[in-house]
Amino acid sequence: MGKEELRDELLKALSDAVVDMDEDKAGEAAQKVLDEGLNAYDAVMNGLAVGMEIVGDLYDKHEYFVPELLLCADALYAGLDILKPHIKPEDLGESAKGQVVIGTVQGDVHDIGKNIIKMMFEVGGFTVHDLGRDVPLEKFVEEQMRTDSEIVALSAMMTTTMMGMKKVVEMIKEKNPNVAIMLGGAPVTKDVSELFGADGYADSAGNAVQEAIKMISRLREMQK
Amino acid sequence: MTEMMPKERIQRFFNREPVDVMPCFSGMGMVTVQAIEQMGIRFAEVHTSAEYMAHSAITTAELFGFDAVVIPYDMCTVPEALGRGVSLYHDSEEILYPTVPSKWATLDEVEIPTDYLGKGRMPVVDEALGIAKSKGDGRFAVGGWVLGPFTMAGQLIELDVLLKGTRRQKEKVENFLSQMTDLVIQVARHYQNLGVDYMNIREMGSGTDIISPRVWKMFIQENLQKIFSALKSPKILHICGSTDMIIEMMNECGADALSVDQKNNVAETRKKLGHEVLLLGNFNPYETLVQMDASEVEQVIKTCIDAGVDAVWPGCDIWPDAKKENVETYVQTVRGYGKRPSPAVGRV
Repeated sequence: MGKEELRDELLKALSDAVVDMDEDKAGEAAQKVLDEGLNAYDAVMNGLAVGMEIVGDLYDKHEYFVPELLLCADALYAGLDILKPHIKPEDLGESAKGQVVIGTVQGDVHDIGKNIIKMMFEVGGFTVHDLGRDVPLEKFVEEQMRTDSEIVALSAMMTTTMMGMKKVVEMIKEKNPNVAIMLGGAPVTKDVSELFGADGYADSAGNAVQEAIKMISRLREMQK
Repeated sequence: MTEMMPKERIQRFFNREPVDVMPCFSGMGMVTVQAIEQMGIRFAEVHTSAEYMAHSAITTAELFGFDAVVIPYDMCTVPEALGRGVSLYHDSEEILYPTVPSKWATLDEVEIPTDYLGKGRMPVVDEALGIAKSKGDGRFAVGGWVLGPFTMAGQLIELDVLLKGTRRQKEKVENFLSQMTDLVIQVARHYQNLGVDYMNIREMGSGTDIISPRVWKMFIQENLQKIFSALKSPKILHICGSTDMIIEMMNECGADALSVDQKNNVAETRKKLGHEVLLLGNFNPYETLVQMDASEVEQVIKTCIDAGVDAVWPGCDIWPDAKKENVETYVQTVRGYGKRPSPAVGRV
């Protein structure tokens, strides 16, 4: 089997393993990528991430639901954990320096959507500063300033905690208008996102996958 | 014809007997900042005081002319009584509802104590219901609610463990949900024994934005059927989020009424379920009462009525910081436009 053929086969195996929620297969395919001396970053972006994009589509089509999304994410991590230490900084280019602060706002302890977004940023090669859940609003501002992160991603699952996000957006934009802010969670709509002055939004864990990919590529464009 | 008292109106409504006008009430939180401010207290204080809880509920109903008061306010009273703690955000300037700080990490750790009804803030809720009954009786119906077994489970155990478990640990999840079902029955019966006029079971974490219809049938339906067969009427099943794909199964659970939120296509639901079913819904409370201009509210409420609800319910708790004019328009439109009969309830 030629190198190109082997690459295609392993990329497909990684993608399929994510879609099939198969952690073992994802781990095996990732290890084979390393054993065969193939590019780890290529395997993440064109194998694992492609699988997660398919998963996002399946979620939109009501073929997959949140339990499936979570199991697909486990499979993705099984591959990512093996491949990540072998990604070369030159492969990542500018995004190697990319940093994101992420967390669920105070009053909200739901973190599934936040964890999916976190995963997609990790896949994209970003350094993720995860503040966890039920995070006091000022903490987002402090962490963004401490790390000089380009992105702050806020999640709120409940309407009752969504208002906190508006304050964080204001506080961050006031200090650093160039920070891209992404809002996520069931109550977040396009209108809410615009009203709060955010740069992107996702109302479901499935859409979060797509939105994170879009935001990462937008930032890469800006960095060129 | 004399005007009906609110409690009578709601009783007749759930019996599908003719009423004078569409009742204006909910089965979820209805407290507003206007009531909190009038009482001179902070929102964070209502969660630990029976007096404040009952009076803020009654004051809200008085201010806006609601037919009911609804207690409890937050979703953590039972988890707290089961030993999972509570975060009350006493020092926060925001309006924040309490949350559960420490969930069980695995299904194997779950242990339900037997004496939880007397623990945590459960006695506060009991007392608040008592005050609401004595101070508001007749003038208002008193509504109570309990989370459904799947949603309660999600308050007690890490949600990803529960959700993944529906595929990977089916038997353990089934056993856990069975325990939750018994718990929900016990708490709901307890509130019924304390005299609530209607009981809403909020299985809000089970819409199809989260789990598939297949998982719903497998893990949710039977437990809800058990709950509704164990409870007295009036009893309501509320599910928020996407419900179009499960609405027929919801209707097989034995509730007297179904409540859905803005994601449900009520006109289609009405066609699927027929005119006999009591349907409640379905406006977005945050968008309608907090964000919109008051002049837009009337149309939102009329759209719900035109789509075929029997009473206009918000899709979730009313966000306490609702605009006064918007809530007033909501109530006025329900009373004005709700004079004509609804599909399942006639008019006297």
